Amino acid sequence: MTSRELVVDTLEFRGPARVPRQLWTLPWAEMTWPAELAALRARFPDDIVSSPAFLREPPRTEGEEYEPGVFVDEWGCRFENAQRGIIGQVKEPRLRDWSGLDGLRVPRERLTVDLAEVDGFCAASGAFVLAKTGARPFELLQSLRGPENLYVDLAERPKGLFRLIDAVHAFFREEMELWASTEVDALVFADDWGGQTGLLVAPGLWRELFKPLYREYVEIAHRNGKYAFMHSDGHIAAILPDLVEIGLDALNAQIFCMDVAEIGRRFAGKLTFWGEVDRQRLLPSGTPAEVAAAVGEVHRALWRGGGAIAQCEFGPGARPENVAAVFEAWEALTRPAM
Amino acid sequence: MLAAMQEALIAGKKAEVESLVDGALAGGVAAARILDEGLIPGMERLGEQFKRNEVFIPEVLVAARAMQAGLAKLEPHLAKAGVKPRGIVVIGTVKGDLHDIGKNLVAMMLRGNGFKIVDLGVDVAPEKYLDAARASGAGAIALSALLTTTMVQMKNVVEAVKKAGLAVPVVVGGAPVTRDYADRIGADGFAPDAASAVEEIGRIIAAR
Repeated sequence: MTSRELVVDTLEFRGPARVPRQLWTLPWAEMTWPAELAALRARFPDDIVSSPAFLREPPRTEGEEYEPGVFVDEWGCRFENAQRGIIGQVKEPRLRDWSGLDGLRVPRERLTVDLAEVDGFCAASGAFVLAKTGARPFELLQSLRGPENLYVDLAERPKGLFRLIDAVHAFFREEMELWASTEVDALVFADDWGGQTGLLVAPGLWRELFKPLYREYVEIAHRNGKYAFMHSDGHIAAILPDLVEIGLDALNAQIFCMDVAEIGRRFAGKLTFWGEVDRQRLLPSGTPAEVAAAVGEVHRALWRGGGAIAQCEFGPGARPENVAAVFEAWEALTRPAM
Repeated sequence: MLAAMQEALIAGKKAEVESLVDGALAGGVAAARILDEGLIPGMERLGEQFKRNEVFIPEVLVAARAMQAGLAKLEPHLAKAGVKPRGIVVIGTVKGDLHDIGKNLVAMMLRGNGFKIVDLGVDVAPEKYLDAARASGAGAIALSALLTTTMVQMKNVVEAVKKAGLAVPVVVGGAPVTRDYADRIGADGFAPDAASAVEEIGRIIAAR
């Protein structure tokens, strides 16, 4: 059975031979634990991979994204960073007021994907391949306007906000359609919608302004025979029913911010949980035994002959032995008895 | 009029808050009473709603802005009457961490609840907190961090405050921070969200 088949069986709840795996890393992990990371990758190869972007024209950026200093992204947003290995914060919004909206340059280089290269990559890979789509409308709006300005916009609803949402969404839709024409297995989009204890915005506002955007991304994926994968950090329990309703196939969420058992009671069998294990506390400061217990909790709550992926993020502060414990525990729980 | 002021504040209606404050002042209502019975109770109600996930960051930000507008009208009158703030709080995001949304939210809610804020911004070294606390006569130091790798800096600040013999309580908060971690590093207070931070700091300052 190939990695791709494992993932598809998981998404379709067809009782795969074992749980599929995927390790996420931030450059911090590569810099801090290079040998341990290499050993983890060799021991637990990924079943899910991202296609390279294969752009014919490089995006116009300045500086290094994961290095201290200033980085200007492809949308012209200026990030400042104090630490190697993590991404910085926007300190100079591209659109401090609406006067620059007409001149907003969308990064069309992202649409110069060499489709044949992508198809070649998919054909050569036995893994489940994710598109290199970058749709993240809420996060981008925050970068373009500055987070506080954007939150005030969401309360006051200036016309510029709707024009900006339309412009950003039109670009991401075009990017989604382009990748949907390749042989990748899934389209991906992301936005962090949760704080530690609840949504950052009112659920009603989210449903009105943002749910329709994600619904369209899912529709593009499904219309083209692809799965739809989403990432969203924080406590997002309030919108989980909506994500199920729009047909999302896999969700990477901080389920340990929420009530794992309750999520299982309400959503197991309806959606695949693309990880994860508590990376705020357990992975940096827990023990391997505690990590294994947490994986057991996720398995009991969410695994229904599929519906969960052994994913975790090796990010700032995480201990390599705890990352290994995630995959060891999942393997022990889902490997068929000999 | 003060009840209407509370409602306008919670709804984030800045112009209406300004107008109601002007009207109250013109009608002879003392600035301290407008603050204590109009604006601050409005912010307290909003804080409770925020904790219960009934209002969210956009609503809090526009209400805080309305509060600032009302306060700007009151400040000359409060100064003239010798009204002091509920306390002075030095606040900042710890060294190595540039995240400021949470810290700004706490600062805005503290201001809205009658505290004077000395905002040191982000990436703040321990000695800067100490210098600012000494210079301002702060009643509390509030530390924010978003990253597990930077929250360890909180311990350095707590230790620096103790080493300097500065009798200023330190309150910590931010996404990865827990009550257990706050206790372990010897912090005097912990808050899981912005509204709780106002309560915790208010409690600690009042108890001094």
